[in-house]
Amino acid sequence: MFKTNNVTSRIFERQIRTPAPGTSVHSARRFYENLVPSFTIYDVECPDHSFFKFTDDGQYFVCFSRNRQDLIVYRPTWLSFSCKGEDCDNNQELPPQVKRFESFFTQLYVKPLASCNELICKDFFLYMESNQFGIFATSTAQIQDARGTDGAILGVPSFEKITIHLFRLEDGFKLDEKVFHNDCVNLTHNMGAFLYDDLLAVVSLRYQTIHILQIRDSGNLVDVQAIGAYCREDDELFINSSSQLAGNRGDLVDNGTNHDQPNSNNSFLSGIKQRLLSFIFREIWSEETDQTQRVQCLKKKFYFHFQDYVDLVILKASRNTDQLPAFFAVYNMETTEIVAFYQNAADELYLLFERFCDHFHATSINSMYMNFISSHSNNIHALEQLKSMKNKATSISQFVKKMLSSLPLNCQSMSPSPYFDQSLFRFDEKLISATNRPRQSTDHPIRFNSRRQGDILKFKIKTGPEFGSADGRSKKYSHFLFHPVWPLALSFIQPSLFLPPSAVNIHFRR
Amino acid sequence: MMGYMLGDLPSFDPHNFSQLRPSDPSNPSKVVPTTYRPTHSRTSPPPDQVITTEAKNILIRNFYQRAEEKLRPKRAATEHPTPEHGCKQPRASTTWS
Repeated sequence: MFKTNNVTSRIFERQIRTPAPGTSVHSARRFYENLVPSFTIYDVECPDHSFFKFTDDGQYFVCFSRNRQDLIVYRPTWLSFSCKGEDCDNNQELPPQVKRFESFFTQLYVKPLASCNELICKDFFLYMESNQFGIFATSTAQIQDARGTDGAILGVPSFEKITIHLFRLEDGFKLDEKVFHNDCVNLTHNMGAFLYDDLLAVVSLRYQTIHILQIRDSGNLVDVQAIGAYCREDDELFINSSSQLAGNRGDLVDNGTNHDQPNSNNSFLSGIKQRLLSFIFREIWSEETDQTQRVQCLKKKFYFHFQDYVDLVILKASRNTDQLPAFFAVYNMETTEIVAFYQNAADELYLLFERFCDHFHATSINSMYMNFISSHSNNIHALEQLKSMKNKATSISQFVKKMLSSLPLNCQSMSPSPYFDQSLFRFDEKLISATNRPRQSTDHPIRFNSRRQGDILKFKIKTGPEFGSADGRSKKYSHFLFHPVWPLALSFIQPSLFLPPSAVNIHFRR
Repeated sequence: MMGYMLGDLPSFDPHNFSQLRPSDPSNPSKVVPTTYRPTHSRTSPPPDQVITTEAKNILIRNFYQRAEEKLRPKRAATEHPTPEHGCKQPRASTTWS
C-alpha cells in the first residue's frame, strides 16, 4: 500500500489512501518496518526473578520468584526521563537510570502461589485475554514408587498434588483452583492443557482422562466434563445400574475423589478407547481381523487440543521415545465419535498440516492477533522455508514424523510480535523465532532484514558487546522475550540451561 | 453546470431512478438511464438460495470428508469405474505397520 519507506510520508499516505479490502491490519503492521528495537542496553540491573512471559495483549509481564514459590507480575511501561540543559535533543547519552529494569517495568504485586512443599511449574502459563485471567500450575514432587491404583495406568509418573490456579492478573487476586491428586499432567510448555475461549481442557495422563473446565466470568472454575472412562455424562450411571442388575461386577464402593474411574475389576475398556477401537475396526473391517487384535494391545497416551468447543477435540497419542508408534486422533465431543485417526507419519496428515497449519492452532475468534502469526500455511516465505527443509531432508518419512510430532500445537506458544512476521522481516530461525526456547547463542548479532525493501538490514539484536572469542570454549544459551506490540524485547544470556541468566539486555526503540 | 448527478450510468430496471429529479430544475436532463437486460438465465442464482458461512473450519471439514470416504462400503472396481467424488488428488496411505 505504501509507496515510500519514510515514516512521515507513510503517515500522510495513510490519511488519503485506503488499503485493499481486508488488509487494513497488514497495512498497519508495515509501520513496524519503521519502528524497530535497534538500541540495546546491555547488562541491565534487574531483580533476581525467573522472567517468564509477556501476556499476549502486552499488559502484564509474568515472572516467578527464584525459589519457584511466588508469582510476581509487572506492568510494562516505557522509559521516561527528563533532561536539563540546552542541547537535550542531540544528547547521545542516556541517563544512568535506563540501566535499571524498573525503568521499563512497574511491579504490580508479589503473590505466593505454591505452598511449602510445592513448586510452581515455571513453563506453564495460559492467559485469558477477555477477562485478564491467568492460569498457573503448581505441583508437589514426583512420587518415586507410584503404585498403579484405581484405574491409573502404569509407566506414568505420579505427583501427589497438582493444582491449577486461576488468578485475576489485574490485582493478583486468586479466584479458584482445581486439584488433581496422585496424577500426572504434562505441564511443560503448556503441553497438557489447552485454553479455547472460556474452556480449559487438562489431560490427566495417569488416568487417561481429559478434564474439561469452564472459566466463568465470576472467576469460578467449573467442571464440565471428563472424557476418558466415560464419554457422556450419564454413561457411568447406565453402566452402574446395568451391572448391578447383572451382578457380575466387583465392588463398586466409591473410589474416593475421582468418581469416574473404572474399577480395577472392570472388564470394560474406557469409553474413549472403545470409541477409538470401533473406529479403527470399521476402517479395516474388510481386511483380516488379526490386525484389530494387535491394535487392541497397544497402549496409548493422550494429549489433546480444541478446535471448536461444541464439536471437536483433537487427541494426540504420543510417547517420549521415537521408536514407539505415535498416533493422532480427532474426537467429536458432542457426538462422542472418533472422526479421524492417523499414525504420526501419515502422509495424509502431513498434507493437512502443510495446508491448514493455522487451524491446528485453534484460535478463538476473540484473539485477533493470532490470525497474523506467520506460519507456513499463511505466509509464502515460511512455506518456502518448509519446502527447502523438506528437500534437504535425507529421509522424507523422518521429516514428516518430525513435523507431525509437534501436533497438536501447544496453546499460546508463539509470540505475536510483528517482528516475527515473515512478510515483514527475514531472520535466521535457528537463532531466534516466535517460539521462545533457549538456543545456543552466537557472538554475532542477529540480523532482521526487510522482506519488502530489498533485503536491507532493519535492525540487529546483539546479545552481548561483540568480543573476541577469548572465552571460546564456553557455550552460552540465549532466549528472547518480545513485547507483543511495542518495539521492546528482552534477551537473556545463560551459561547453561539450568542456571539463571548471567546477563539481561533490553532492546528498544530509542 | 451540475447536470444529472448520476450521469449516464446504466441500470437493469428502467423504473429505477425514475423519481429522481436533477439538482437544477431549470435544466431537466434525461433521467431514464440506459437499461441492460440479461439474455439468458443460466447464471442467475436459484430463487431460494441462502448463502451462509460454514460453521466448521476447513480442517475439520477435511477430516469428516476423509472419514466418510473411508467408511463408505467398498464396491467392486469393475462396477463403478468413475470415482465417487470429483476430487482427483491421490489418496496417501494411512496404514500403520
